[in-house]
Amino acid sequence: MSSRQAQGTTLFTALLVLVGIGVVVQLWLLAASVDALMRHQGSTAVHATIGSGIVFAVNGLLVLYVFNFDRKIKQDHN
Amino acid sequence: MSDEKDKNPGECFECKKKQDARWRQDFPVGWESDNYVTRREMVKFLALGSLTIAGANAVVAGLPHLVKASELPRTRVALASSIPIGGSKLFSYPTEEDPCILVRQGNGDLVAYSQVCTHLSCAVIHNEKENALFCPCHHGYFSVDEGRPYAGPPTRPLPRIKLEQQGNEVFAVGVEVS
Repeated sequence: MSSRQAQGTTLFTALLVLVGIGVVVQLWLLAASVDALMRHQGSTAVHATIGSGIVFAVNGLLVLYVFNFDRKIKQDHN
Repeated sequence: MSDEKDKNPGECFECKKKQDARWRQDFPVGWESDNYVTRREMVKFLALGSLTIAGANAVVAGLPHLVKASELPRTRVALASSIPIGGSKLFSYPTEEDPCILVRQGNGDLVAYSQVCTHLSCAVIHNEKENALFCPCHHGYFSVDEGRPYAGPPTRPLPRIKLEQQGNEVFAVGVEVS
């Protein structure tokens, strides 16, 4: 395994953990939204949705970044 | 012995037999590789999960707006003259399963609220002496003016029923949840 591949593996693992944490935060926001819905507090659910969207955007960017990195390594390897 | 088999499966008769088996040719994926999840697959799975959760959150946030958009019926609930000052009347709105209470205040104004206590869903009653809506289950008090809780365990106000008066008739036309 080249040093760049090792770097990629570390990057993948780190981003996997970050995205995983993001998903857990989103689950928490979803639970808070449902709780707010039951309490008839619509504004809380809207704010939670905005937060969840931001977390998804961050997750998406991280995933795109890591797949671009992966593609570059494959190109270099070939 | 098992290590040798793993290293040189071709030399092991049983291993060769297994490899040549018909089912192996039809299903060439082994248990180990079948259960193996790569980091890439996991990241993709989490990204899709993230999208799904964000979508579910949007649905949850949009649900009250969809419900509000649907028209509630206009229902005649009482004759205004039949309720004296400080008096009250029970009715159901918007369905028969939604008990409500109509109260005439000291200044003559009519107000109506859901009768379901926002603490643990007991039925609130009008307490004329204290000019309050009172929940006898856990001694919760709501103001008649706004339906806000001011004593006892309830923390959320009672949903207010929107009223319209035409002549002597009082109609319920909507529910206002604050």
